[in-house]
Amino acid sequence: MSNPHSDTIPLHASSQSDIDEIENLINASPATVLPARPPSPPRPATIPVSSAPFIQSNIPPPPPTSSNQKVPSVPVPPPLPSSTISGGSRPNIASTGFGSPPNTLTEPVWDTVKRDLSRIVSNLKLVVFPNPYREDPGKALRDWDLWGPFFFIVFLGLTLSWSASVKKSEVFAVAFALLAAGAVILTLNVLLLGGHIIFFQSLSLLGYCLFPLDIGALICMLKDNVLVKVIVVCVTLAWSSWAAYPFMSSAVNPRRKALALYPVFLMYVSVGFLIIAID
Amino acid sequence: MDESYNNLPSSHLLGSVPAVVSEEKHATSYEAPEATMQTFPPEGFEQQPANNWKGFFSISSYTQYFNVDTDIVINRLISSLHPLSGDFFSKIDANPDLYGLIWISTTLVFMLASFGNCATYLMQKYTNSSASWSFDVSFVNVAACTVYGYAIVVPLAYYFLLQYMGSSASLVRFWCLWGYSLFIFVVTSFLLLIPIELLRWIIILLAGTTSSCFVAFNLKSYMEGNDLTVLVVASFCLQMALAIFIKVWFFP
Repeated sequence: MSNPHSDTIPLHASSQSDIDEIENLINASPATVLPARPPSPPRPATIPVSSAPFIQSNIPPPPPTSSNQKVPSVPVPPPLPSSTISGGSRPNIASTGFGSPPNTLTEPVWDTVKRDLSRIVSNLKLVVFPNPYREDPGKALRDWDLWGPFFFIVFLGLTLSWSASVKKSEVFAVAFALLAAGAVILTLNVLLLGGHIIFFQSLSLLGYCLFPLDIGALICMLKDNVLVKVIVVCVTLAWSSWAAYPFMSSAVNPRRKALALYPVFLMYVSVGFLIIAID
Repeated sequence: MDESYNNLPSSHLLGSVPAVVSEEKHATSYEAPEATMQTFPPEGFEQQPANNWKGFFSISSYTQYFNVDTDIVINRLISSLHPLSGDFFSKIDANPDLYGLIWISTTLVFMLASFGNCATYLMQKYTNSSASWSFDVSFVNVAACTVYGYAIVVPLAYYFLLQYMGSSASLVRFWCLWGYSLFIFVVTSFLLLIPIELLRWIIILLAGTTSSCFVAFNLKSYMEGNDLTVLVVASFCLQMALAIFIKVWFFP
């Protein structure tokens, strides 16, 4: 079970990883199942996907039987079991799990966006800010996603492009290409050195570690003094490198640690230099 | 195993394997008495394939070229600063690596782009020119094309030339040599920030000569015995041309 008591509990059951989901479902006690809660936004009642027959035909055990018994007695089809088990102020989004995908199609857009945003925030807190789970790279980004890195890269490109006085589009292109290709190449570098990482998890992590540089770029865009820029960039650069260090260094053989870390440092220094130099 | 089957007097039984098959097996087993199974490749064959090549798109076929530790890489970097020793190939013979090529050239691209811009900024401030300076992003493009093009194409050309001339050559070792030869330019791009023109020319000529000697002497010792001095001289000239181009374009 990940994060049962830390401050990084994701808001939604669906934003935990699938493994945690299954653990939740298996360990949940039926007594905590709430009676059916009315769905907050008006759901098209004609869509039968969340209704009783669907639940009853679910042969695998995870949807607890308690909700099956509740179903006939309740006029409104209850939300799927996993979202009621974990309790709390959970919106009635159909969490992922068995039989839920149709519900994520019919849920309101705001719920989808909110779920993704909360996942981005929780990943950010895990990666960039000090927390007790940082030393274990397996836990660091169990629920990786690529939306966060995408936003951060595009934001950095836009900020740099805005601050540039000439050749704005070329600046954006260079920044975007540098960051995107750089993340891929850094991951390949670790794999080639014989390290053990998951490709997309590493891409995700390198993208999240750009968050301090984003803040630095924003500050540099607003304040134009060269000395302030240098100081801000140095601080945020150190912060980014600190964020990426445990993950990268634990992925390779200790004798090759410097070989794996140097390119990360190089990429962040080049981005930092781009931030300082663009005016 | 097959001999035992051949020995069973079963050909007279209903549904047994026809005698033709057993004769065939008997015949083949005579031809290779020491091989018990007709496997391919034969089991007595001890020679391993030259590399663990599993195809272009499998990462594990490239990991053999990155099998270096930090201290080995540092050792090779330091030895690239000694132009006259000529023993680089013997150092890398057992374990050539492409890590040096990739990351030294990438570092050089970044250094040229950033310090080139710094240098133009300093020159403008030094000469009190009134034109406002802005960051020229095209330096990154030109630096990338030049450095990567040079580091990849020149060893490739040498490899094909040497194959054409008949002597054997190893592409990976050439790439390794040229990659490490660029390390000195990384160091000199720091020094080229000094805004004094004469000093810049002295620095770049020194660095160019060192690097070119490094490449030329090692190439000469690699091609010992062959009368291919033209190629050695050509490599010297190419490296000097690169050094001068760096000075002229990025630090005008």
